[in-house]
Amino acid sequence: MKTFEERFTAWVDGQLTGTELAVFERELAQHPEAAADYADAQKLGALLRAKAIAPQLTNVDFFNLQIEQRIKAGNAHGAAQSKREKVWGFGFLPRLALGGAFCLLAAFGLFQSIIPSGSPVEKSPYFAQVVEAWPSDPSIYATTVYSAEDNVTVLWLDGLDYLPGNTLLQ
Amino acid sequence: MRRLLLIALALAAAGTAFVYAQSGAMQTRLDNPAVSQSAKRPGQDRIWSAVVIARNVDKPKDPPPELKDFAPRLKRVFGYNQFELAGTATNPIGDRTESRLLPSPRLWLSVKARQAMSKEARGGYLLSLQLHQDQRQLVDTEAKLAPGSPLFMRGPAYGDGQVIIVLQIQR
Repeated sequence: MKTFEERFTAWVDGQLTGTELAVFERELAQHPEAAADYADAQKLGALLRAKAIAPQLTNVDFFNLQIEQRIKAGNAHGAAQSKREKVWGFGFLPRLALGGAFCLLAAFGLFQSIIPSGSPVEKSPYFAQVVEAWPSDPSIYATTVYSAEDNVTVLWLDGLDYLPGNTLLQ
Repeated sequence: MRRLLLIALALAAAGTAFVYAQSGAMQTRLDNPAVSQSAKRPGQDRIWSAVVIARNVDKPKDPPPELKDFAPRLKRVFGYNQFELAGTATNPIGDRTESRLLPSPRLWLSVKARQAMSKEARGGYLLSLQLHQDQRQLVDTEAKLAPGSPLFMRGPAYGDGQVIIVLQIQR
């Protein structure tokens, strides 16, 4: 189904005939502004037919070549200019400066947050650590106790035999 | 436009200088002789062990000089107020050495040492320790020790007190 605009164009061009023309003319009665458009279109068509006389080209190929060269030159110039504008034009350097400043700030932030300012050796000189303990008797329990406050590591053994106070240890 | 370019260059130069200064400071710390020199002389290291008898008494004696540094920490951790030395033993220690520490004839330790190579270890040792009471092995343990970082072992109850074994790397 053609739209009203398509049928209107066909009507202006005189391509509607028969039933299609009759139906469209009835429909046209509902669009009074279309009559004015029709009159303008007719007037323009007549004017073009009467006045528009294409000049006779003496050397068609030469003319086409010139046009082609101008188009090519224009395209190349436009591309070069747009490229220059992209690189050095308005907004590039400020963006570069802002980007650089942002990168530096980000790098500074990461440096401060990720890389510790002092070595762990300096912060905590304490190193003793019990990696693993295997009691040789099931009645003995070995636990590692680390006191961060006192920097003390203790291998805490439970279940050992009691030694009377008179036992000679020396 | 030129001003912006100059600002960007100045920022870049400042950032580079900052990073260079920081990395230089870190390198200085890593090269600090106090940290690294000791690791160069492992042959002079010793392992000191002590059997300490801890008690709670009404009139506590001052700790012996060998325990002066440890006494406050021992008090807080074990809750006793008097510490006496039952015996000490010192052996040389180095990479891949084995020795027997006899701070007491009844409580002694068998020690196998490997020197820890990481910078954080500060020339410390990874020790394979076996604590014995007479001929009976009580516990086998792997521990890391470095100078200034003693390891305490809570041994058997002794009379109304407690036996504590202290191990310390000396340089």
